Amino acid sequence: MAATIAGVFNPELQNLIKESKVLLVGAGGIGCEVLKNLVLTGFSELEVIDLDTIEVSNLNRQFLFNKESVGKAKSHVAKTSVLKFNPNVNIMSHFGDIMDTKYGVAFFNKFKLVINALDNKKARSHVNRMCLSCQIPLIESGTMGYNGQVEFIKKGVSMCYECNPRSEPRTYPMCTIRNTPKEPIHCIIWAKFLFNQLFGETDEDVSMDEDGKIGSEKLSARNWAIQNNYDPKKLFKKVFFDDIKVLLNLEHLYAEKNIKPVLLDESLLDQEHTKYSDVLDSEMLTLEQNISMFWDCVTPIKEKWERSANKCLVWDKDDDMMMNFVVSCSNLRSAIFNIPFKTHFDIKSMAGNIIPAIATANAMIAGQIVIHALRILRGKFEKCQNVFLRSMPNHKGGVLVKDKCIQPPNPKCNVCSSKGEIVFVTDMHNFTVRQLEELVLKKKLNMVAPDVTMLDRVIISSDETDGVDMYDMTLSEAGMTNGCSFDAEDDHQNFRVKIIAYDKEKSGEEDLDFEILNNINDLRTANEQNNKTKPDENDEDDDDDDEDDCVIEQAASPAGSTVCDNNGGAVNYVMVDEEEIGHDEVTEEIGNEEEDTEKISNEEVDAEEISNEEKLAIKRKADEAIEDINDAKKSRVD
Amino acid sequence: MASELMKNGDGEMSKDERKVYDRQIRLWGFDGQNKLRATKVLLIGMQGLGAEIAKNLILSGVNSITLKDHTEVSILDRCSQFLIPRDSEERNRAKASLSSAQKLNPNVKVIVDTTPIEENVDSFVTSFDLVIATECSPSTYKRLSENCRKSNVKIFIADVYGLFGYFYQDVNSAYSLYGEIFPNNAEIDTLTSTKKLPQLYYLTSALLKFQSDSNRKPNPDTSEEDIEELKSIIHLQINYSSSDQENKDDVFEEYYGELFCELSPTTSIIGAMVSQTALNTVMNKPVDKYNVFFYDHIEHEGKFHLL
Repeated sequence: MAATIAGVFNPELQNLIKESKVLLVGAGGIGCEVLKNLVLTGFSELEVIDLDTIEVSNLNRQFLFNKESVGKAKSHVAKTSVLKFNPNVNIMSHFGDIMDTKYGVAFFNKFKLVINALDNKKARSHVNRMCLSCQIPLIESGTMGYNGQVEFIKKGVSMCYECNPRSEPRTYPMCTIRNTPKEPIHCIIWAKFLFNQLFGETDEDVSMDEDGKIGSEKLSARNWAIQNNYDPKKLFKKVFFDDIKVLLNLEHLYAEKNIKPVLLDESLLDQEHTKYSDVLDSEMLTLEQNISMFWDCVTPIKEKWERSANKCLVWDKDDDMMMNFVVSCSNLRSAIFNIPFKTHFDIKSMAGNIIPAIATANAMIAGQIVIHALRILRGKFEKCQNVFLRSMPNHKGGVLVKDKCIQPPNPKCNVCSSKGEIVFVTDMHNFTVRQLEELVLKKKLNMVAPDVTMLDRVIISSDETDGVDMYDMTLSEAGMTNGCSFDAEDDHQNFRVKIIAYDKEKSGEEDLDFEILNNINDLRTANEQNNKTKPDENDEDDDDDDEDDCVIEQAASPAGSTVCDNNGGAVNYVMVDEEEIGHDEVTEEIGNEEEDTEKISNEEVDAEEISNEEKLAIKRKADEAIEDINDAKKSRVD
Repeated sequence: MASELMKNGDGEMSKDERKVYDRQIRLWGFDGQNKLRATKVLLIGMQGLGAEIAKNLILSGVNSITLKDHTEVSILDRCSQFLIPRDSEERNRAKASLSSAQKLNPNVKVIVDTTPIEENVDSFVTSFDLVIATECSPSTYKRLSENCRKSNVKIFIADVYGLFGYFYQDVNSAYSLYGEIFPNNAEIDTLTSTKKLPQLYYLTSALLKFQSDSNRKPNPDTSEEDIEELKSIIHLQINYSSSDQENKDDVFEEYYGELFCELSPTTSIIGAMVSQTALNTVMNKPVDKYNVFFYDHIEHEGKFHLL
């Protein structure tokens, strides 16, 4: 421990290291490395918190764990491992969620410094708010493949984690998914929907035939499957033959388009079982093998579904049968729409939004975090500019590059400035108070226990004893009107924001339920664009006059991970080698991913040549790609 | 520990290996992983920086790594050597690191070698695909660089001094040998005439000169004298290089206080940078336009240079 050896640091710093209590949030890839570096440097009052347990796929980088520790709590095992090389350190390990209200202001106030080594936006935002509220310096970090960044956050001194608007998860037009898939990712999303429809919490009919032509008599896919006892062959015929025939009857869908489904050969309905178990996940399955894989996975999933608590399964990329379901369904759908197959390995990346991760990038970021920590202890905040790790040297040879100076706080930030306000647009006659709490305040604005008041009237209370229960009311019933404003706050996070609400009638089933904008000008701009823009050349339903809004979020996944992300890819064009080659001609919505991302990234890298705003925005997007995935993962666990 | 039969390089990648390496295969592909599985590494020096490099390479799944160190565990290792358990009774650094190193990844052959590199014949390096040397004397580095060039073995030479660190690489025999860049004279005569040198070159060169003269790195016990000594070396070097008047020796004031021992934040950074650059080289993605990397802990920047 460097700080116990005289002469290594100057005496002032030596004492600061020994005495400062530090909180490390996250004991994963970056967390393991940071914990090691802190302990070796001589920090001796540490607390570490993580809610995860160890998985096999962590072992290529989370070096404080090994095969024997799989399944155990990361925070506890990490502590045990570092004590082997330094038993003289006080580490308190918490197996829990940092967003739990038991880790409140009193908890945070114990620390001189907080280090975030997290994998999701929600928790990052939360810790950001807690540290702003307690005026504790925070080091925020993230990696993705070869890239990474370290950011210093201190109230009033630097930008906070939420000073910049965040990018949205990649969305795909619903109609593309349902009717006119053009790329493997569309089929993969469809396959995940199908899974949800059959076994998940929603039985909303999203994947089969379109727009209720069969009317109310139409049987939901789930009910159809139940009636047929999830017979794999019948299900196969229904989904990949009968439903396609229905689609083909809706000729308007395919008029003047290059896309048209083609029925598979009927002989496949009772083909022999084709062996696929010896095909590596990196090799392509044949059509026949995909069919056999589908037949084989339906029954085991159905059995699991029957055993599950509420007869509800959550799709999990690490469940072999569930993964096989998505692989076979997406490839079969691809066969029908003349889209190239993907390997199991690639489909897993896209469906599971897997972010590649390596030990070295984490170690570099973790080293820089502790260098920053030493500067922060001495109050040298001006020396803590944001640092970016590049995958390749820029033209000046730089790999670890920094901002020229500390980024000042955004005076309009909703979180760290008192002047922040948000514009919220929804259909007030349909949107309920419960949706406001769950979708807007908790999910979108990352609050934990929100309170809402409008003109001193309480609409949502985090304190049950208040007896406020307006959850089933629409916003309109709760007294909101077009242009009204209300306050939303989270006492726990010490975060409050003024929200101005606008009423906008929902005109089609595929309209967004709500929009959040940073100011009213964004709303005007958006409206003007709506009026100007011609419908996107693709994906429209005849009866739908709001094409632009015809989007859905890809459930658990922002972008088919890095590859399909044309603008957020600057810091993360890492997975290109085996991906998506040859699809450029049909990617107009998504762009020419690889080329675009390469280009952006080449520019992005030079800190001197592009504005910091741009750089941060680019980085944030990459960053968020990471998180949304993990958000999805977390919510699954919940 | 897994049986020898299961180690890397013996046949196809197993399903278990695929699971462990999943997140990195998604970055560098199966081809990349297979190249790593065939790579034999010699790692010289098992202090803090050596421990970091060993960790990174073993986690990545190279075929084998030979941990070579003839020296004894010191209390200064506690600044960054995390592979040696505190209760270890083993005195040799490489031997003391073996058990923790092997546990990081049972698929990799981890071998200990306690013979001093100076006692090996020049052709010793030819049995490896990659040589990474740390904590040797400048003259040993010079010799290793020449031997590796002769045998066409890729070499990386890395050291950390407190919070400062650097590495040299020769991956394509295209540029200067180590001894040509760091000739270890008080006067920097071979380079100054043609090139503008980065500031940290002078610091590195002075540290190496100090090491040659004193037969040790600067030490926290004697920090004041050592800093004075370094200052005078730098002063000489900078005054000699008349072509480079921009570099004044007082720019190093901030650096002197943090040049002792191998400190963990920087062993983490340099260890990872040298490891990743080496792994990329093995996977045919070398950083081939540069040969020296400096990590500047005051400016917190990491840059490659061609010297």
